[in-house]
Amino acid sequence: MNKSDISNPGRGKTLVLVLTLLNTVLVAAISALQVDATIRANQANRDSQYYTFQATGSLISTGARSDYDLNTFSMLLANTQEALVAGYTALQRQNANDQSGFETLTLEAQIFQARANRVRSLSVLMTDPAYAPASDQVPPNITDYMSDLNSYSLELVQKQNDASDAYHRWNNKSDSYVAVLTVLSVAFFLLGVAQMAQPSLRVLFSLFAIGVISIGILWTLILLIF
Amino acid sequence: MEKPEDKSNPLEVWIAILIALVSFTTALAAWRTTSLGSKAGDLIFQGLLNAVKREAAANEDWRQAYQEAGYARDYLISLDGLIVLENSTDPASQEHAAQLRTYLLPGMELLASPLGTDPSYLTPEGWLNVQKRFDELEAQSPDLSNLDPLASFSLADTYYAEQRWLVVGTILIAVSLFWLGLSQLSHLRLRILILVLGVIVYGIGLVWSLGVEFVFFILRGGVL
Repeated sequence: MNKSDISNPGRGKTLVLVLTLLNTVLVAAISALQVDATIRANQANRDSQYYTFQATGSLISTGARSDYDLNTFSMLLANTQEALVAGYTALQRQNANDQSGFETLTLEAQIFQARANRVRSLSVLMTDPAYAPASDQVPPNITDYMSDLNSYSLELVQKQNDASDAYHRWNNKSDSYVAVLTVLSVAFFLLGVAQMAQPSLRVLFSLFAIGVISIGILWTLILLIF
Repeated sequence: MEKPEDKSNPLEVWIAILIALVSFTTALAAWRTTSLGSKAGDLIFQGLLNAVKREAAANEDWRQAYQEAGYARDYLISLDGLIVLENSTDPASQEHAAQLRTYLLPGMELLASPLGTDPSYLTPEGWLNVQKRFDELEAQSPDLSNLDPLASFSLADTYYAEQRWLVVGTILIAVSLFWLGLSQLSHLRLRILILVLGVIVYGIGLVWSLGVEFVFFILRGGVL
C-alpha cells in the first residue's frame, strides 16, 4: 500500500460511483432498445408468415383461374378449327357431287361454329378489351393477361420478402443488443472490483471499466445508425 | 455484552424493508412485462392459425367455383351445339338431338347448376361470374370466411406496445433497486443522497408502470 492510499483511502470512489450510474443508465436504455428490437422482429416475422399464406392462396386461386381461362380459349381454337375443317371438307364433298356428305359436314360445321361462338362469349381473353385481339388475324394479349393475373401474387411475395428481411435485421439487432448488455455487465463487475480495491488499483479498474463502457457505447451507436 | 457495531442503524432497517418492497415490485413488473409478450405471442399464433384456416377455405371455394364454371361452360357449349342439331331438317339429326336432350343434357345441367343455368351468373360482357359464385360459397361457411387474423394481430400489437412502454417502468424500478442496495453499503453522508435518488427513481418507475397499465386497460376496452 503506498502513501497516497493511506492518506486518502476514498480516492476514486466518486469516479466509480459516477461510472456505475452511467453504466446503469446505459444498461437501462439498451435493455429497452433490445426489447423494442425483439418486438419489431416478432412483428416482422408474423407479417412474413401471414404474407406467405396469402401468397400461397393467391397462387392457388390464380392457378384455378388461368386453368379455366386458358382451357376456354383452347376450346375456342379447337371448335373454330373443327368448324373450318368441316366446312372446307363439305365444299370438297359438294365438288365431288356427294350431296349427302356435303349436308352432313355442313351441319357438323354449323354445330362446331355454334359451339365456338358460345366459347368466344365465355372467354375473357376474347371479350375483355384489355386482352381481346383487335382483329381475327391476331391472337389475344396473353402476356398482359398473365401479367395482370400474377401481379397480386408477386406483390404479396415482395411484401413477404421485405417482411422477412426486416425480421432478420431486427433479430440480428436484438442479438447484438444482448451482446452489448453482456459487455456492460462486465463493466459492472469491474466497477464492483474497483469499489472494493485499494485506491491505486481502483483507478486502474475504473479505467478498464471506462474502456469496456466505451466499447458498449460505440457498439450501440453502430447498431442505432446501421 | 452487546458490541456497538452489532446494533442495527434504524435507517439500515428501513432501507432493508424498502429493498424488499422494491424487489417484490421488480419481480411483479418483470412478470407483467413477460406476460404481455406472451399474450401478444399467443394472439399472433391464433391469428396465423386463423389465416391458414381462412386461406384453406378460400382455396377450396376457388377450386370449387372454377370447377363449377368448367362444368357450366361445357354445358352451355353442348347446349348451343344441340340447338343447331335440333334445328336441322334431317330427321336422323333431330332424333339424335332428342336423345341427347333426354339422356345427356340433364346430367350436364345438374353439374352446371347454378352457373350455367341461372342467367344472373352471366356478366354483361358474357362471361360466367365466378366471383359471384365464390362469394356465395364463402357465405356458406361463415365460421371460416369470417375469421379475422388482422384483428388478432391488431390486439397483439396493443400488448406489444404496452410491453414496450412497461419495460421502461420495469427498468426504472430495477435501477432503483440498485441504488437502494448501494445506499445500504455506503457511508452515512452519501447514503441519504443515494437513498433519496433510489426512492425517486422507484416512485417514477412505479407511477409510470401503473399509468401504462391504466392507459392500455382503457384502450383495450377494459381487458388487462
